[in-house]
Amino acid sequence: MNIAGMGVVFNRGRGVQSLEKALKEGWVPPGDSTYSVPADTLKDKSVLKEMRRADDFSKMACLAAYDAFTDSGLGNGVKSSLGIILTTAFGPHVTTFRFLDDILNYGDDNVSPTTFSHSVHNAAASYIAFMLGARGPTLTVTQFVYSFHQALIIAQAWLLERRCEYILVGSVDQCGTVMEYICRQKLHLAEDGKIKPFAFSQTPCAVPGEGSAFFLVTEGKTEKHYCSVLAQAVGTPDMYLLDSDGMVGDERCYLKIIKGGIPVTSYTPIFGSMLTVTSFSCAAGALMLKNQQSYAVPVQDNPHGLNLCRMQGSAAIKNISCVRYGCKNDRLEIFLKQ
Amino acid sequence: MQSGNVVISGMGVISACGKNIRETLDTFASGRRNISKVTLFETKLKYPVFEVKGLSGSDGESMRTLELVFTAVKQALEDSGLEDKLNDFRIGVCLGTTVASQLNDTDFYNEYKNTGNASLRSVERYLKGNLAEAVQDKIGASGLACTVVNACSSGTDAIGVGLSWLRADLCDIVICGGADELNRVPLAGFGSLGAMSDSLCKPFDKERSGLNLGEGAGVIVIEKEEICRKRGKKTELFIKGYGLAADAYHLTAPRPDGTGLEAALARAMDEAGIKPSQAVFVNAHGTATPDNDLVEGKVLSRVFGMGLKFLSTKGYTGHTLGAAGGIEAVFTAVGLREGWIPQSAGFRKADDEIGISPVTQKTAISGQYAISTSLAFGGNNSAIVIAKG
Repeated sequence: MNIAGMGVVFNRGRGVQSLEKALKEGWVPPGDSTYSVPADTLKDKSVLKEMRRADDFSKMACLAAYDAFTDSGLGNGVKSSLGIILTTAFGPHVTTFRFLDDILNYGDDNVSPTTFSHSVHNAAASYIAFMLGARGPTLTVTQFVYSFHQALIIAQAWLLERRCEYILVGSVDQCGTVMEYICRQKLHLAEDGKIKPFAFSQTPCAVPGEGSAFFLVTEGKTEKHYCSVLAQAVGTPDMYLLDSDGMVGDERCYLKIIKGGIPVTSYTPIFGSMLTVTSFSCAAGALMLKNQQSYAVPVQDNPHGLNLCRMQGSAAIKNISCVRYGCKNDRLEIFLKQ
Repeated sequence: MQSGNVVISGMGVISACGKNIRETLDTFASGRRNISKVTLFETKLKYPVFEVKGLSGSDGESMRTLELVFTAVKQALEDSGLEDKLNDFRIGVCLGTTVASQLNDTDFYNEYKNTGNASLRSVERYLKGNLAEAVQDKIGASGLACTVVNACSSGTDAIGVGLSWLRADLCDIVICGGADELNRVPLAGFGSLGAMSDSLCKPFDKERSGLNLGEGAGVIVIEKEEICRKRGKKTELFIKGYGLAADAYHLTAPRPDGTGLEAALARAMDEAGIKPSQAVFVNAHGTATPDNDLVEGKVLSRVFGMGLKFLSTKGYTGHTLGAAGGIEAVFTAVGLREGWIPQSAGFRKADDEIGISPVTQKTAISGQYAISTSLAFGGNNSAIVIAKG
C-alpha cells in the first residue's frame, strides 16, 4: 500500500515540516526529563473547535490524523471510503488516572461522566471520525511492542478486502507523571537525556516520549506519494532504521540483523522512547524516500563500528527496513519502498 | 485475497449464565437470571450485576479477565480438536476487551498519590495482561496477535479482524472473541452516565431503565474450511460476513437515524451474499438503555421487517462490554446449531416508539443465517453473519 499523506505531533512540533526540521537539526535535550508535547502544539481552534472537552491524548491523535488527511490533498470526496485504525500501547491513561482521582476523592457515585467516556481507548479514533465526518470502519487496537505493525497488517487486509479505499492508520501514546514514574522504576532513564540507539546495551537508556503519527494509506495511485509500505520484510534493504529506544530491555539482539556495510540509522533520540515509536520511524523513513535524502543520526555514539548515516545529504535510497525487536528476541520489520 | 469459506470449528463461553455452552443452554431454557450484588470489590453503588461465580480465584498475579478468557479458550480449543496441533498451523489470536487494556488499579494509584513510591505489582499484572499476547503465550501460538479495544463492539470486531487475517492468508486458524471482568471503573463510569438500572435490565421494553454490567468471555476458533476438513474436523458453522461502520456523531450516544448500524449490517450481509429476508434471527446488542434500544430496534425493523425474530441475551449475562461480541457470537452460533433461541429476558411491554418486539418465549428457528450486532461507545457499529450449512 502507498503512503499518500503523513501527520505527526511530537515534542518538536506538528506536521511534516516540523518533522523535517527536527531531522535536520538533530538531537536537542528534552525540556525536562521527558520528550513531552508542548501544550501550545495542541492549540488549534480551527481543527479542534468541536473538541473542547477532549483530552490531550485525543487531541494529539486528531491533529496528526487531520494533518495526514490534509497532507494527502485528497479532499472530502474520499471520506465516504475512509477507514481509521488507531493503535496505542497504553491508551489515555492520564485520563484514566483523572477518573481514579474522582473515585478516590469523591466516591464511586460522584465521578465525572465526561472523564469516564474519554478514558476509553477508542475515544480518540471516535473523535477523528467525528472531526472528519468519516463513516467507514473505525478500529482501535493495542499491543505493547508491535502495536503499529498490527495496525498496518489490518490496514493491508482491509484494503485487500475493499473494506475501504483509504485508511488513516496511526499511533498515539502519552507520557503523564504516573507513566514517567513507572518508566523510572522499570527502565534505565538516561541521565544526560540521550537515547543511544547504537549502544545495543543489555540495559539500554530510555527517555520517555509521547506523540502521535498518522499515515493516509491506499492501494491506489495518488498525486502525493511518499513511498509504499509493507508490514513485513522483503529482501535486503538499502538502509536499516532501528527502533532501539530503551523501552523494551536488552538491545543486544539488534546486532544480529545488521549485515556488513548496509547503512544504519535511528531517530529515536528525536522522538523519545515510546512503544509506538515505530510509527515515527516510519514517518522519518517515508520522508527520506520521498526527498531522496538521508538525515544524520542524531546521537552518533557508535561502539560497534556500524556504518551510520553520519551526514545529511542527498541519497539514492530505494528501500528502508524499520526494525523493532521485542522482549523475547523476536523481531518485526516494516518495509518502506520508493 | 483468499477465497473460500471460513468455518467455526470450536467455541467456548463463560458468563453469569453458565461456565460452558451446556450450562448456558440450561439457563436459557429455564429463563433463569443469575443477578447479584457486587461481591468482587468494595463499592457504595447498589446496581445489580451479573458476576461469574465460583471461578477458581485469581492468584493476585494475573487479571481476572485472563482467567475468564483462558477458560473460554480452553473450551474452544478442546471443541476444535486443536489442543495438541497448535504447532502445525499459523495460529492467530485476536481478542477484544475494555478493562484489561486499562491501567486502572485504584490501590496502586492511591499509593502513588500518597507516597510517590507505589509498588509496581499491579503494573506488572497489567503488563502481562494484554489479552491476545497473554493467550498467545499461554497456548504457545506463534502467529499474529492483536487486542482490539473498540469499546463494547471489541469482541465482534476481533472476530472481524480474524476473518480479515484469514482472507489475507496471514493465518490458517484464528482464536478470536472477547473477554472482560466486572470492574469498579466501568461500574462507576456507566453509573455516572445514568446508563445503569437499579433493577433487572429490560432490553427493548417500554419501561427499560438501563443496563446491568456483567463479565465473561466468548471465544470461537475460525479457520479456512479446507484446513478444517483436511484435519478431519467436522463442523456445520461458518462466519460469512462482517461489517463495521462509524457513526461519526457522538462519544457516548448512538446516531439517532441509525445509519451507522445500517451500513454495518449492509456490509456484513453483502459479504455473506444474503438478503435481509434470509436472516432467521438477530442477536441484538440490546443493552436496555433507552437510546441504544430505540435506535437499534428501529434499524432492525427497517432492515429486516416487522416479522424479524430477535432477542437480546444481555438479560442473562448483563452487558459484558468487550466480551459481549464474543459471547453473543457463540450464542448466535449455538442458536443456529440447536434450532432454538431463548426468550429475550426482561422484555414484557412493547415500546410503540421502537415498533418491533423481541421474542418472548423459547422460540424454534430453522434456516441458515443469523446475525449478531454490537454497538459501542464512540459510535462503532458492528455486525457478523453466522451460517449453518
